[in-house]
This record gives sequence, C-alpha cells and structure tokens, in this order.
Amino acid sequence: MTALLTILLALFQLGPSSQNARCFLCHGKKDFGVVENGKFQSLYVSPKQFEASIHGKFTCVQCHTDVKVIPHFIRPEKISCLQCHFEGNTVGAPVKYLPEMYKYSVHAKASAAGNPNAPTCETCHTTHYVRSPKDTSSGTYRKNIPQLCGSCHKKEFEAYSKSIHYRALENGMLGAAVCTDCHQEHDVLPPSDPRSALSAEGVVRTCTKCHADTLLMEKADVPVQQPEAYSESFHGIALENGMVRAANCTSCHGHHDILPASDPNSPINPKNLPKTCGKCHPHADKNVADGKVHIIPSERSAGIVFFVYTFFKWFTLAVLIFLFAHIALDLSGFIRRKYSRHE
Amino acid sequence: MNDKIQRFSRSWRIQHLLLMVSVLLLMMSGFSMKYSETLWGKILIFLEGGFQARGALHRLSAVLLFITAIYHLVYISFTREGKREFKSLLPTKKDFSDLKNSILYDLLKRAEKPAFGRYSYREKVQYWAFFVFIVLMFVSGLVMWFHDFFFAFFPKWAFDVTFALHGGTATLIILFLVLWHMYVVHLSPANFPGNSSFWHGDVSEKWLKENHLLEYKSMTGDSKTKQPEEKED
Repeated sequence: MTALLTILLALFQLGPSSQNARCFLCHGKKDFGVVENGKFQSLYVSPKQFEASIHGKFTCVQCHTDVKVIPHFIRPEKISCLQCHFEGNTVGAPVKYLPEMYKYSVHAKASAAGNPNAPTCETCHTTHYVRSPKDTSSGTYRKNIPQLCGSCHKKEFEAYSKSIHYRALENGMLGAAVCTDCHQEHDVLPPSDPRSALSAEGVVRTCTKCHADTLLMEKADVPVQQPEAYSESFHGIALENGMVRAANCTSCHGHHDILPASDPNSPINPKNLPKTCGKCHPHADKNVADGKVHIIPSERSAGIVFFVYTFFKWFTLAVLIFLFAHIALDLSGFIRRKYSRHE
Repeated sequence: MNDKIQRFSRSWRIQHLLLMVSVLLLMMSGFSMKYSETLWGKILIFLEGGFQARGALHRLSAVLLFITAIYHLVYISFTREGKREFKSLLPTKKDFSDLKNSILYDLLKRAEKPAFGRYSYREKVQYWAFFVFIVLMFVSGLVMWFHDFFFAFFPKWAFDVTFALHGGTATLIILFLVLWHMYVVHLSPANFPGNSSFWHGDVSEKWLKENHLLEYKSMTGDSKTKQPEEKED
C-alpha cells in the first residue's frame, strides 16, 4: 500500500513535466516557429528555463486553457496573468504587490491606446521564465530593477545612475531606493495624478517611508530627523494644508539624480543653495547657506535656535510658576481672611 | 447712579478694544497654524476660511494691531491724558514694596491691604509685558512676512531664530492673558465674576476704594465729593 502511494505520489510529482514534455516535443526545439506575414516568429520555450521559473511546477495547459488536443492547429488566446493573480484567487498566486493595480497605470493606458511599446506584465516579468523578485537572477530583483525600467526609460536611468541611491545599491545596500519604491510597482502614475505617490503631497510621504526608518537610515548613515523637521517647517505645514506650491523634498533635492550635500553637483551643496532656493525666493544669495536646514528646535543640533527655544521653554515655565503661585496665594489669603472673619 | 465713577476714558477704551480684537484674531489665526495637525487646529482653520485665508487674517489683524500701536504711541506722547496715563504706568519703587506687602497680606502676616495707585504692580506688569511682546512680535513677524526681501540681508539661521522667537513669545502672551490678565481683571475675588469697566469705563466708588485707594483719594481729594476724572458723557 505504502509502495503504491509512493509511486502515485512520484507520478504526481512528475506530472507537470511529463505532461509538459508533450508540449516541448515541438516547443522545446530551438528552431520551432511559424512564418507569419513573411516573418519567422519563434515559438521556442526553453524547457530548462521554464522549469527553473516560479511557474515550473505548473502544466502548460493550466495557463493555455484553450489548448485541448495536441497538436493544436489554432493559435491559443493571449493569456491574462490576472486569470490567476487576482485578489481572492484559490490557487495561491501571490497578489502582495497588487498586480490588479496595473490597470490604473500610465502603462496600461498607453497600451489601451494602442502603443505597441507600452509594457504589459510580460515586459517586466518575462513570459515563460517568471522568477520571484527575491530571486537574484530575476529582472524584478531589487538590484536589477533600475536596469529593467532603464531598458525603456534611458534618460531617467542615466540620471538615476549618478544618484546616491544607485551608488548605495551598487555597493550592496539593497534598501536603497529603486524605481519602484517611489513610482509604485504596478500602478505607475504620473506625478500630476493626485493618487500618485509622487504628487506634491504624496512625495513627502514617499520619501518619509524610508527616511524616517531609523534602522535603514542608520545603515545608510543618513540623519533620520529630516522628515520630522520638514513637517514642522513652514514648507511642511503649508504643504500639509494643501498649498502645493510650497517646497517639497524634490524641490530642493532633485529626484532621479539625488546627491548628498557634500557632492559639488548636488543642488543642496552650499555653493548651489542660492540657485536652488532662488527658484522660489528671488532674493536668495549665499546667506541661505549660512545655517542648518531641517532643524528640530528642541535638539542641540539646532544650534542657536536650540538656545532660543530652551530659553523660552524655561522662561515660560518660570513665568507660569510665578503667576500661578501668586494667584494661589491671593486666593488662599482671601479664603483664610474670610474664614477668620467668620470665626 | 451717583455711585459710578468713570475710570477709563473713551480713547483708552477704544485702544483696549482694538488691542483685544486684534490680539484675539492673531492668537486664533496663529495658533491654528502652529497646531494645524490637531483637531482643534483644523476646526479653527476651517472657521477662518481655509489655510490661505488664515494667513491673510493673521496679516490683516497684524496691521490692525500696528495701527493700534501707532494710535497708542501718539496717545501717550502727545495728548495730556495719554501722558498722564503713561506716567502712572511707569514702574516705581513702591511697586516692589507693594508686591512684598501684598504677599505678606495674603500670608496673613499683615493686617492692611497695600494701598494701590491708579495702576498697581499687577496692571503695570501686564502693560510692560505686552509692550515688550508686541515689539518682539512685530519685529519677528515682519521678518517672516517679508522673508523674500530679508533673504538678501539675513543668514538662514536668523529666520529660524525668528520663527522660534515668534512662537515662544506667542505662548508667553497667551499664558499672560489667560492666567494673569483674566485673573486680575475678572476672576479675582474683587472682580468675580467679571469687571465690565473695559466696556463702559465706569467702576463703583466702593470698588475703587477697595482696589485703588490712592487713586480714589486723589480723585476725591480726600473728601467725599465725587469728581469724575475725565469727561462726562
């Protein structure tokens, strides 16, 4: 009985590949293809690569459901990845990164408008060789994302490749921001869209996601107080209250080619600050570089502002105590006098 | 009706009213920004007609306060009444002994309440605190209002200091108003539940005698006949 079960189980295990073997009889041949409109179109699928992919354990017909007999003489329908990857699916297809959100993206819109270059699922994930984003050989592995997006967005990749984010990524800091951290994975939207993570209001939340993460910033050796200090500044308060013309992170730091202040090419390098601030404040000159940005008054690092803040804190407290004591004394005197008069 | 004595002239009351209105508006529109992330901050901003309108209201009430300050400076420098009022607001040695005696009186170590003039140390400290506060608020407020212009003159940290100064002074002002001014003029036993002389300028003879004995004496010339100080309208 046990032996029978083992054999059955082994058969089941072999199931997909042995079934797929029938497909690979043709599709596993490197020169297999059809001539369409006078052009050769390859229909080859590498069995080795397919089996190494995350979908390797499935049979071909689980996706190509319209293939019923082999050989098939009709062209199978185009597959929608969403036939498995929808929220609530019962086959365990992961939806952690909300693939359905793709339909809101600029990519989906361009594709619907008939742009043949607009990316669909397989443009980034490949058709038959999909690998997990955790797989270092996957195109969607964090470290490979810039190249993946950059294969179309060449100018953006060029700018990004100069940034401190890319430099950190190259140096093995996987936590460094890649395209998808700011642009979202599937619902890539233009910054002008209020739903975008890069809208004037969204951009602060987007940068804060990482820059307020103590552990990550410690690893990157970047001060973690910036987002908090910004939210208490004039710019931060104005933006929070819907004045989108107020400076947000990218107004001063740039976006794709973000560099630390120490870099002479950075817009926040002290030498470049007059120009950067001058975009909004026409009278800004080298004065604006004289003093810290992103200060929290209650922290020593704020310099002179810390002393002003501390003076007011203690002075206010002293005044409070004095006034309160005087009033309490006044009232207690009044009550005691009244009481002794009644005696 | 004979009991009434006019203590504050019409001009004095108008100045007080302008000050009250502008400072209340300034506090409302200022603190609603400082605490804009809190619920009551949001409610205040809503009542002020949104964030931009809040800023406009703050600047408008600052202009009103500025006009009030100019009015006051002219009043104390050029009118006879104003000069006299200002003189009685200047701190004297007696104020310090009054403070000491007032504390002793409240500790029941002294039987007699100190006799105050027209303005006791309690009122003088309010006047001078406000004098300093308003100068500080004006200077820091102007720098922030016209920051684009001042960028050419001041380093970046000066604006941060200005911001901290403006906020710190605002907190002091609200503390002084709520805790001290409200207590001294309305909630203290002598005035409870309130004193409306800021509106009509009149106080009762009994009240004046109890609270500003020296002023009462100088008004009546130690006799029992009443002579309203300024005008009779």
